[in-house]
Amino acid sequence: MKSKSRFEGYLMVDHRASPGIPEDVARAAGRDPRLSGEGKLFEAATMTCTHCQNIVVLNPERKRARAYCPKCDNYICDGCEALRQMPGYVHVSVEQLSDAILESAAKGAPLGSSLELLTKPKIFVP
Amino acid sequence: MSRRSFSVPTFTATATADHATTLANGTYMGLSAIAATNRAEISEIYLGGQSAASNVNIMMLARHNTIAATLAALAAPNSDGPLDGLTQVITSAVRGFVAATTPPTRSAGTTEARLNLTYNSFGGIVRWLAAPGSEWKITGVTSLLSESSISGFTGGGNGVMGGHIIYEQM
Repeated sequence: MKSKSRFEGYLMVDHRASPGIPEDVARAAGRDPRLSGEGKLFEAATMTCTHCQNIVVLNPERKRARAYCPKCDNYICDGCEALRQMPGYVHVSVEQLSDAILESAAKGAPLGSSLELLTKPKIFVP
Repeated sequence: MSRRSFSVPTFTATATADHATTLANGTYMGLSAIAATNRAEISEIYLGGQSAASNVNIMMLARHNTIAATLAALAAPNSDGPLDGLTQVITSAVRGFVAATTPPTRSAGTTEARLNLTYNSFGGIVRWLAAPGSEWKITGVTSLLSESSISGFTGGGNGVMGGHIIYEQM
């Protein structure tokens, strides 16, 4: 049976030969300050959200279940999970978005604002 | 197609705000998809500190809300080449850059991906590896999708460092 841990990335911040970063900066970066100071090595698994591509440093002490998208068969971030629970939500993964962009570009119709919308309208008054 | 390494042996990351402030040339490592039908996946990032004194750097891998215009060709010792020397030359390839006539601006969007690589560039090392299938992707020529960079965020110091980005053009 395949495990979801196969989707995990790896983050290493090595301060074993460095003064490290202050506690408040470590907290702001979402890291354990006990492992971010002088002489410390921080290693953690990361997860890339398949909906928004945000990369989340996994907290090994998290008790709540991680958000999971059955359509992607992958974990998603908490922000995308909140969106997923909303009524009328339409599932779009980053892969689907990329495919749509590349396909439209290959057809010569890149996505984005139409030039007609970006230029001033020409109004002729008879 | 081919895995490539974009390497910048030394640069000074400058703390720059999101969105409104253009990144100064030579302070970032950027990767652009270049063409509308191009796509690339970043699988590894490495930054090694070279500062001569303690310097906390809030390094961000982030997307650009204004993509760079007229990219400058890389100059030695910076480089961007295939890991396999037998790789065929790709026309209009994805490429790394450190300067442009109009440099990019980093997106401030709260729903966009970002990777925080805060570390002390006085002897510190930071490395991120993506799992297969979970790489950081850049696509086409649309802002917020087609270009990303590693650069220093507001609040950090102006540390000296070197690094590389391993990516694959699809």
